[in-house]
Amino acid sequence: MKPDTVVEFDVALIERARKGDAKAFERLYREHVGRVHGLCLRMTRNPDTAADCVQDAFIKAWKALPRFEARASFSTWLHRIAVNTVLEKRRGPSNAEMAVEDPGEYEEPVMVFDTPVEEEELEAAIESLPQGARDALVLCGVYGYEHSEAASMLGIAVGTCKAQLHRARGLLRDRLERGVR
Amino acid sequence: MSKRVNRIDELSKDIPPSRDLWPAIAAAIADQVSADLSMKAVPGRRRVGWWSAAGLAASLALVSIGVLIGRQFGQPAQPVANTTIPARDPALLPASMQRDAEYRKQREELVVQVNAKLAAMPPAERAKVAASLATLRKSIQDIEAALGHDPANALLQELLVTSCQEEMRALTTVRDSGHQEI
Repeated sequence: MKPDTVVEFDVALIERARKGDAKAFERLYREHVGRVHGLCLRMTRNPDTAADCVQDAFIKAWKALPRFEARASFSTWLHRIAVNTVLEKRRGPSNAEMAVEDPGEYEEPVMVFDTPVEEEELEAAIESLPQGARDALVLCGVYGYEHSEAASMLGIAVGTCKAQLHRARGLLRDRLERGVR
Repeated sequence: MSKRVNRIDELSKDIPPSRDLWPAIAAAIADQVSADLSMKAVPGRRRVGWWSAAGLAASLALVSIGVLIGRQFGQPAQPVANTTIPARDPALLPASMQRDAEYRKQREELVVQVNAKLAAMPPAERAKVAASLATLRKSIQDIEAALGHDPANALLQELLVTSCQEEMRALTTVRDSGHQEI
């Protein structure tokens, strides 16, 4: 299915779901649950908590559908709800602004390794990162959000998001024992 | 060995959950819709979220049956009027289900067996089980009636199918019940 077709398909389903069509919403759930779960799992590091977050996020999305603007990306909107749900579940000052050295230049979200890494090894390294660095890395590095989008989702300043990504890059470099650009 | 990646954004974005999370989401949505319907009720007249009530009634009926059939039936059977289930009552079968010949046939056979089981139960237990099954049937009728007003409502259709399945499970449980704990 081409990307445009996917978007049109989503729009049609969203319109039906807005009118109370649960089957349409289930289709949206089936289409997006993998990504939302992947995001929640990487942020929470706990399969049960991640599943709870996914359920809560989709329930919140159903309730908020009338306020969803069709021009926006449904996927991004859903991810924002999921990130909020994860942050609520943590119930702590996890995203407090933290002091890290200034990354200096613009921190490019994409990370390239100088030699290939096994997925399992990389996932384990990400899982071992401190929460703030992991959040920034997951949203910017894995899911491709801009710093401004990720910072908005996490409720932190853009500079903090960049600093956290910079920190994550350094820690990954140490833990994977290979160059990370 | 897992796949190797050169960039972090090559990691799979999709990680499906190990179990289907939709049933819990669907249940929460149904409650939400029910609450919304209640909020839209005519002022001064408290409108019960009927499908929530129907679902609750069905659940209660199942629980009641579960409790009742777990008991020992020590007393000899005595005939009691009005505690059998009509085997053929088209009004009790949703239109969609009536079209399903296999479902109809299975239900009719089950009802015959359940009626035989009911006849062997002590009167008090028989009355309670029959009342629970009647509650389930009433739930199905209520949903069918609501579908008559809103035939395209997907949640109602789903609830109808679920309720019919619950009734079949309840009938089967009663049929298979004995002196052992269920």
